[in-house]
Amino acid sequence: MSAPTDPIEAYLDQLLARLGGRARDVRRILAETEDHLRQSVEEAMAAGLSEEEAAREAVARFGSPATVARRFAAGSGWLPSRRTVVELFMAAVLLGGIGFTAIGASGLVAQGMGTALGKGFVSGSGPYTRYPANRCADFQEYHPRPTCEQAATAHHFDEVVTYREAAGILGLIALGVYAVAGRRRGGGSVPLLPDGFVATLGAALFGAAALVMLGSCLNQVLAGSSAGMGELLSGGAVSALVAAAFTVELLRTLRLRAEVAPG
Amino acid sequence: VSRAPAHGYAIVTALRDRSEGTFDLPEGTVYPALHRLERAGLLRSSWSHAGGRRRRVYQVTGAGAVALDSRRQDWREFASGMQAVLGWSA
Repeated sequence: MSAPTDPIEAYLDQLLARLGGRARDVRRILAETEDHLRQSVEEAMAAGLSEEEAAREAVARFGSPATVARRFAAGSGWLPSRRTVVELFMAAVLLGGIGFTAIGASGLVAQGMGTALGKGFVSGSGPYTRYPANRCADFQEYHPRPTCEQAATAHHFDEVVTYREAAGILGLIALGVYAVAGRRRGGGSVPLLPDGFVATLGAALFGAAALVMLGSCLNQVLAGSSAGMGELLSGGAVSALVAAAFTVELLRTLRLRAEVAPG
Repeated sequence: VSRAPAHGYAIVTALRDRSEGTFDLPEGTVYPALHRLERAGLLRSSWSHAGGRRRRVYQVTGAGAVALDSRRQDWREFASGMQAVLGWSA
């Protein structure tokens, strides 16, 4: 067994501690590294260096274990590159910003529905809903109305509109952060994420949300009740609009790709 | 490695010598590149035994030779274009 102070043994230990991936790949990397370092030492000793000096020089020329391990990790596919992570994060900020802004827009639509069709359309309770006395007292404290149901409707209407509009403000902030970060990063480098990545995700996510919410509304219409339908209808309508916008963007991207695709 | 099978140490040394010291990279960073080229099917490698040591020897595959020719051609065109733009004589 080599002495623990052998620079090559110490280097291999440090490299092993930093390598990830399959055991077979790790063994191969260590074997190639050791072969390289030992040959480097032999040649340096032939040129007149002591074994200790030659080993230290060989290790220094090989690069730090962290650098070498990072290069292996970047090319092995099991760890995404920093650029990929940043691009995915920015895509999430963009989608999240649009999502929260859409929630805010649905709050405004719900508010409009409440004004035009009555708060009961947005936040009315079903015909069989009954609230216990303590809940009614809570509703009446902040929204005094002749009946408990009317107080509950006013309470829930405020919640729907206020919370959604607050989410919308967060969404606008996220979009502002995205725009500023995008300007600072500049547009010089070729993106790693495929063309239409955000548009595809956006169309799928908002399309699914629109289907679920509008489907629930349809179900409620078929059941013969419109009380509280506006809550989902406002969300479904805005989601459908956002999904349509993403779909238009996706189709535009696909058309551009078709123009430059070979064959 | 395009001329004859070679192990990592020989490739690193050739890279440094033939570039007259221009490509004096941290030697360990050449191996990740070799592994990537192998995964891409442009190189293949196998263990060999020499001087009592086991070492990995790399050689260019058919696809690697085609890719190398293509890259050489691209580089010649690029270098020739740059020379023309900058007014150098070859």
